[in-house]
Amino acid sequence: MRPFPGNERSRFLLKFFVAIVLLYVFIAVKPVNDAVIVPFTAWLSDISASVLRIGGEEARVNGTVIRTSGFAVDVRNGCNGVEAAILLVSAILAFPSAPGPKLLGIVGGFLLLETINILRIVSLVWLGAHHPQVFQMFHVAVWQTVIIVVSVAIFLLWSWKFGSKRLARST
Amino acid sequence: MDRNVWPAALRTVVGFLAGLACWMALSPSYARLLATLSEPLLRMSEIPAVTRLVPDGKNIVVERTDFPKRSARPELQPEDLTFNIILLMTLFAMNSSPLSTRNVSGFLAAAGILCVTHVLALFVTIKSIYALQLGHWSLAHYGYYSRSFWSGAAHFYRLIGLYAIAFGLWWLLRPPESSAGAGGSGKRKRQRKSKRTASR
Repeated sequence: MRPFPGNERSRFLLKFFVAIVLLYVFIAVKPVNDAVIVPFTAWLSDISASVLRIGGEEARVNGTVIRTSGFAVDVRNGCNGVEAAILLVSAILAFPSAPGPKLLGIVGGFLLLETINILRIVSLVWLGAHHPQVFQMFHVAVWQTVIIVVSVAIFLLWSWKFGSKRLARST
Repeated sequence: MDRNVWPAALRTVVGFLAGLACWMALSPSYARLLATLSEPLLRMSEIPAVTRLVPDGKNIVVERTDFPKRSARPELQPEDLTFNIILLMTLFAMNSSPLSTRNVSGFLAAAGILCVTHVLALFVTIKSIYALQLGHWSLAHYGYYSRSFWSGAAHFYRLIGLYAIAFGLWWLLRPPESSAGAGGSGKRKRQRKSKRTASR
């Protein structure tokens, strides 16, 4: 018996990619970007700066830009966790399960991802200020991969918890 | 929490570190490979064929024979397009028996397909540079829809596409009995439950 048969995998992937493209188009259109994404990113920057100040850094925020003494970052799409959330939401929407667990997975997963994303922003600003030689590696390779792996892990744990009955019928 | 989560988490960390090390070590060679594979694709899309891709360490310089000799050349970092190999390696390492023949062959097939997507991503990125970043030259050679298409495609790939491709390849090519697969815990729980029921 196979836990997830080949045709189920392909069906999941098709739904997953359709959801990814639709969600990307939704967040990329200018009115949504200006009214939702940019204010949300500015809010994340505010919280991150607060955490940095608690840790003793002199962090100031202007919109989505966080400045410390000698270093500044502009938090943009790709650093606000929305990309990881889109991946998670698309996977949950594509996976066979009831609407209630899906909503729980999406809301809970989003909150967890954004909490970890604040840690990402805080650590990157700190690294940029104190260890600029490794900032680029952590910015591009480490944190972006980690946040997506976390997103995949949340999806897998959610699917283990809520997806088994439907899959059991399909095997 | 499922008892198989922690070994899987350890395999994930090891896979991530191995992927990061491979990616960092092979980036200059991979930039050369990508330039070699993408250049013919770009030249096929041009009349006349004028683009040359010149690797410069980890970067790729975009040369055009019709550019003025003194003008600056666009330069890009293919690392920004290729780091999803780390994600792919991490996800395959997450599977139970990561060194089994099925898992390794699945990973190699996925990595091969990923390489093709990197070539296409470089192609799209350079097209978006041509369409958007060369001032009057871009406006003269690319219309509104064409600029929107190339910039949208490049942005989509960079923001979410590269992750979605790595995840999709892993999902499709991972071994069917992988413990990282969805539904695995439910199946094991049902098996344990039915064993307990049978022993009463």
